[in-house]
Amino acid sequence: MEQRWEESDDICKNSHSCLVIIYNLFYWEVDMKIAISSSGTSLDSNVDPRFGRCQYYIIYDTNTDSFEYVDNESRQAMGGAGIQASQFLVNKNIEAVISGNIGPNSYRVLSAASIKIYSGVTGTVKDAVEKFKKDELKGTSAPDVQSHFGAGSGMGRGGRL
Amino acid sequence: MYNLILEQGLEWEEEVGCKLIISVASGKGGTGKTTIATNLALSAGYCQLMDYDVEAPNASFFLNPDIKHVKKVTIKHPYFLKETGADFSKCAEFCNYNAVAVVKSEVVFFPELCHGCGGCLLVGPEGAVREKDVIVGEVEKGYADPGINFFKGNLKPGSMRTVSIQSELDKSLEKSGLVIIDCPPGNACSMVFAVKDSDYSILVTEPTPYGLNDLLISIEVLKNMNIPYGVIINRDGIGNDEVENYCKRNNIKILLKIPNDKEIAKFYSRGETLIEYDKSWKSKFESILKEIEKEIGR
Repeated sequence: MEQRWEESDDICKNSHSCLVIIYNLFYWEVDMKIAISSSGTSLDSNVDPRFGRCQYYIIYDTNTDSFEYVDNESRQAMGGAGIQASQFLVNKNIEAVISGNIGPNSYRVLSAASIKIYSGVTGTVKDAVEKFKKDELKGTSAPDVQSHFGAGSGMGRGGRL
Repeated sequence: MYNLILEQGLEWEEEVGCKLIISVASGKGGTGKTTIATNLALSAGYCQLMDYDVEAPNASFFLNPDIKHVKKVTIKHPYFLKETGADFSKCAEFCNYNAVAVVKSEVVFFPELCHGCGGCLLVGPEGAVREKDVIVGEVEKGYADPGINFFKGNLKPGSMRTVSIQSELDKSLEKSGLVIIDCPPGNACSMVFAVKDSDYSILVTEPTPYGLNDLLISIEVLKNMNIPYGVIINRDGIGNDEVENYCKRNNIKILLKIPNDKEIAKFYSRGETLIEYDKSWKSKFESILKEIEKEIGR
């Protein structure tokens, strides 16, 4: 009797895990979170031209058409802001990044995580998302600005580092 | 360190008593730090001159020292044994300089950002992180006439480990006599490191809005570090009176004014000093040294 119970339990577990795999396969196709560097917290905000030192990231879920914004804490980093920001987005399981410019360091981290990179994007976040959905954005295969592109003003650095 | 002082007690105090470190600093670049530092050194005759501006060391152009020793400076960089399959994410979390990123079991290392602190070894998976020496520059030691012990550091092009080179120079700081430190421009890490041991700091500036703005930041830094200071105005005659007025209002000593003179610039461009231009400058610099000694009570 006990033996049979265990067997059926196994079957139950297996069928459940099968379902989970099917579910994951299904959502793997459609569930995609993208991060857009943004100057504001809403979809009407402009895409921030800086990737590592932008104000916010809008994390958009193309499956549910919902979004959340996160404050970019790496903005204040003394150095390696892009690296820190990329690491943060990778940990958040982002699959694509949209920004105005992406520097070489961010590029290395993002591509190591095989995240799709779309740079040179301007206009509102909403437009960028729409274009992304229609597959109108062109993927970037190389960093398009030098390091410290976004580190210019407001950093309060005196002379050389 | 403190224990050492306690043990050696008196001896240590004696050493400090006869040592005078003067740093020549400036928030704005190109105001004449090296001019002041080299002329002070030549006026003093017997002293140690340390060129802490390791990114652009140029004091040697004016003093033409005979370089006797060159020593390579290295720092330790981590390397990650990826084949161990260990999880290095702790290293990325720990790194204050964002030199390590760990994404999907891939380690991305940025050598130019690594300060060589060794943190990866401590927090990372045991045995899976190793260290190797990386050359970041060199320090040179030599002698210049009349009796100058000359030291300079050269940062390797592309490297940003300024302070590592300066730390190496620090080891050669003499424990007695007069030491003149030619600081790097700016008010950031490398400047703070260069002035940290000084008994007095000379701030060189020019009478322009830029000069004043950067002077104010330097003053803020020195106040925080409790280092007495005075101001030298170079290229006097250009710009406006704001720097002078500010110093007068705040009782800051103006040690010297150097006029904006094309002849001086010509001498400078040939690698010659103010003293070579006009012997009378020597006594001016000597009196600055005396004034500083008086002010800090030596």
